[in-house]
Amino acid sequence: MGKSRVLFSVLAALVVVSAASAGGSSTPGVTSKQILIGGTTPLSGPASAYAAVAKGADAYFKYVNDHGGVFGRSIKYKYDDDAYDPSQTIEKVRDLVQNDDVFAIYNTLGTEQNLAIRSYLNQLKVPQLLVASGASTWGSDYKKYPWTIGYQPSYRGEATIYGRYIANARPTARIGILYQNDAYGKELIAGLQRGLGKKAKLIVSKQGYDATDTDVKSQIARLKSKRVNTLMVFATPKFAIQSYSSARLLGWRPLVFVNVVSSASNTMTIAALASSKRQTEGSISLAFLKDPVNTRWKNDKAIKLFKTILKKYNGGEGLTDYYNIYGMSSAFTLVDALRHAGKNPTRASVMKAVTHLNERNDPFVLPGVVIKTTPTSRFPITQARLERYHNGQWVYFGPLVHVG
Amino acid sequence: MISRAVRIGALVAVAAAAVALVLVLPHWLSDAKAAEFARAGCLFIAIVGLNLVTGYTGQISLGQGALMAVGGYTTAILTANHGFRDLWTIPLAGLVAMAAGFVVGLPARRLSGLYLALATFAFAVAMPALLKRFSGLTGGSQGINLFDKALNRSTGALGHVHVLGRTLATNDFLFYLTWGIGLVLAGAAWLLVRGRVGRAFRAVRDSEVAAASSGINTGFYKTLAFGISGFYAGVGGSLFVLVSNWFVSPSTFGFDKSLLLIVGAVVGGLGSLAGMALGALFIQFVPDWAGNLSSAPGAPSVFFGAAIVLVMILLPAGLGGLFRRLAEPLTRRL
Amino acid sequence: MIVAVDWAGVAQQVVSGLSSGGIYALLAVALVLIYRATGVVNFAQGELAMFSTFVAWTLTQHGLAYWPAFVVTVLAAFAGGIVLERAVIRPVEQASVLTVAIVTIGLFFVVNGAAFWIWSPEVKSMPNAFSTRPIRIAGVAFSISDLGIIGVSLLAVLLLWLFFRFTKLGLAMRAAALNPDSSRLTGIRVSWTIALGWGLATALGAVAGLLAAPPLGSFDQNFMQPILLYAFAGAVLGGIDSALGAVIGSLALGVFLNLLGTYVSWVGTDLRQAAALAVILVVLLVKPAGLLGTAAVRRV
Repeated sequence: MGKSRVLFSVLAALVVVSAASAGGSSTPGVTSKQILIGGTTPLSGPASAYAAVAKGADAYFKYVNDHGGVFGRSIKYKYDDDAYDPSQTIEKVRDLVQNDDVFAIYNTLGTEQNLAIRSYLNQLKVPQLLVASGASTWGSDYKKYPWTIGYQPSYRGEATIYGRYIANARPTARIGILYQNDAYGKELIAGLQRGLGKKAKLIVSKQGYDATDTDVKSQIARLKSKRVNTLMVFATPKFAIQSYSSARLLGWRPLVFVNVVSSASNTMTIAALASSKRQTEGSISLAFLKDPVNTRWKNDKAIKLFKTILKKYNGGEGLTDYYNIYGMSSAFTLVDALRHAGKNPTRASVMKAVTHLNERNDPFVLPGVVIKTTPTSRFPITQARLERYHNGQWVYFGPLVHVG
Repeated sequence: MISRAVRIGALVAVAAAAVALVLVLPHWLSDAKAAEFARAGCLFIAIVGLNLVTGYTGQISLGQGALMAVGGYTTAILTANHGFRDLWTIPLAGLVAMAAGFVVGLPARRLSGLYLALATFAFAVAMPALLKRFSGLTGGSQGINLFDKALNRSTGALGHVHVLGRTLATNDFLFYLTWGIGLVLAGAAWLLVRGRVGRAFRAVRDSEVAAASSGINTGFYKTLAFGISGFYAGVGGSLFVLVSNWFVSPSTFGFDKSLLLIVGAVVGGLGSLAGMALGALFIQFVPDWAGNLSSAPGAPSVFFGAAIVLVMILLPAGLGGLFRRLAEPLTRRL
Repeated sequence: MIVAVDWAGVAQQVVSGLSSGGIYALLAVALVLIYRATGVVNFAQGELAMFSTFVAWTLTQHGLAYWPAFVVTVLAAFAGGIVLERAVIRPVEQASVLTVAIVTIGLFFVVNGAAFWIWSPEVKSMPNAFSTRPIRIAGVAFSISDLGIIGVSLLAVLLLWLFFRFTKLGLAMRAAALNPDSSRLTGIRVSWTIALGWGLATALGAVAGLLAAPPLGSFDQNFMQPILLYAFAGAVLGGIDSALGAVIGSLALGVFLNLLGTYVSWVGTDLRQAAALAVILVVLLVKPAGLLGTAAVRRV
């Protein structure tokens, strides 16, 4: 009996300790000198190429800090490795929130990764800012998750644009789809069907692949044998490049629509190398950011700034990387939101700022793109332009379109 | 006789020390660290089960992670769709995974060595694909997130837990829960391997032919070992879901988890229970420490891998072997 | 469940499956080599192949053409395999098989991480080994690349067979693997034959990586991992101690994966790995030592 009493007094002592440590403070993560934000990104594992998103953002914060910060506070961005595994995302984010006391979670990468932490963050009322994923749920489910907001145009919206374009410009197309067999791939398919409307029956074949597969040769051969002439590549860069090279090996040259995730110039250059110039010629995609490789922006001020920042704050790495500029643009928006959140930002005030964006001066997005949100329209970027790959270069065509 | 009494005394002392350690440890741990230790507790349970198959019965299993998945999903599905109370699903998860373990173990009646390893490996590789395929039940690639569902649960992911009239921080509660169950199951494993079943296991490991000729039904005991280890994996997987903020997805229990578990078992030292705990702590914490050394891409992997290689070269019998080597002269002197 | 069959499509899937299978075969034979020498599956085999591929890529970036880079890399991989064996496997030679296997898992992490550390995570592209021009036979487009891969794979395995069959060193290695103790008595340095086995296996892996990378279009630090899974499955299907079995098992697996994924609609592409492994399992239950493997010698 005595023993159990000892046990309980130990337990009771613990309760006292934990109660004592749970004392209230003002705004977590904000001191007079610094704002601490956190996030996760895949620094290791199969998706580690995406880590450039966090690195680009981090470099931009350091640049801002050297230029006075936000109301005299510097921004510290602590990004941890989740190896692209949602369970690890949870662990790392919980550590950031409960141990590091971050002000907000920002720019965490991946659809499933963000879904895994959304409820937790909303229950604790920790802002989940500028989610680095194109799932439409970040913008549309704000009633249930008021502390969450996305950034880029949604996959659904993107594919809707392709669908509309095909319905108008290629009404007799035989459409084949190569898609990643997960939420991301399926949302693109749904968007395409929406954009095609009554023409959805133009889709003659859908071939999925798993992110852990070796290759998509077999799927491409299958699409070819279905006499597809318009190929939708809803795949990550590795598999997008493969669809070009596999098609080339089969002597097949469909018109390719390649999704934004894989249409960065450096990816397309590799695709052309791996297949042929003719194979990539005429491919169509969508763009909302300036591509650092595109010669059109060679003398652009923003791209020069982008390169200067990377040289100074990222060891000169990622100068040609589209993911870095994505991160930088996202960081620009966060800094803007923090400025609007007031001299003494709170979690509520930054949420207010980020749902009242009206940015016309983000230098990293295409000219004319306005980053705009309201409490009921929570997709920060909804404008983009169609582009066509010509002579090893993306060329924009048509006006800015609304991606919704 | 005296040496026997000394040994029993030593064992009781070790067990008491383990219980005491588990009881006081959260006192020094931050909330997030308590959660990490709780996670290590889940891995510990799965590794103790793996030890029964691989360490005592000599059958290489590359599928322990997939059996954890069975347990984890059982808990998630029962609480989400059938209104079960979370804690009650833990034994159920163990039983369902035990059934799965028996099925995985069936080929063991005909196969051995690497051929059997392939069977378990096939199961581990197939599991995430199956979980994605039957998305009606499992939530597909997004998995099941129970966090904000109104559930009949004892463990909240936030705040405090009331248990036996006391209030505990959730992560401390989860720590006690996982390591409490872990110690009980480790004790059960200890009793098992010392009994008739354990003798049969070891006979199968040392020589199947000799075991068969002395009347042991080798196929039965191999399958039984898989079934029991499935129970351990299921309980570990179920707790893992509770500890992971109530979230489970196919990648939670990918093939890499199965590989890590066997790394944990061997690095800890097959056949040593204290070693299993060290192995679990190794696979839970060494990757994090490696990550703190350098955040250059790939660097953490290099350090983690190097740690595995070094432990194996310096202590081929694992970390538990070190324990034994340190303890041996001590008991001998006694 | 079976959808309508078009024979040109089937032929295409078979050839593409054989060319994938050829790559699995190279790695599978590498696994068999090490298994026969030490009784261990080398989990790092695929990563070593990946590392070699990155070395070759670096050489091509410095102006070397594909084939010269190929030769240099395969030789370097041979030397590297020997050095690795001396450095990390030799110290655990006397330990249990499982200990050695775990060392190779550690090696897996080290090699994979080192490749990320040295070469950035962005995907790379390897120049093509063969012409990518398709050729048409009876209405089916075959690529020269597919045929070339099948050819080089078979050639490499044939050379290896000749080595083991007709050279003194090869015979010594076989003897050492079969019966280390009596080999030692006849003056064979068994420990060095194991190192040599690692060298050959790593070189063979390099050939696999170098053939696999170009037709994939791009490659990254993880590109050999699924290939290793298939190589393991192919080797076990064929019988883990038989090189010829590994080749046959891998080629069969390559074809089988394609046909299953394409023509059995219920399986589709998402379950094809699982389905292929399940079928292998059924084969093994009928033939517990694989297609050509010898039944395990049972200790009494």
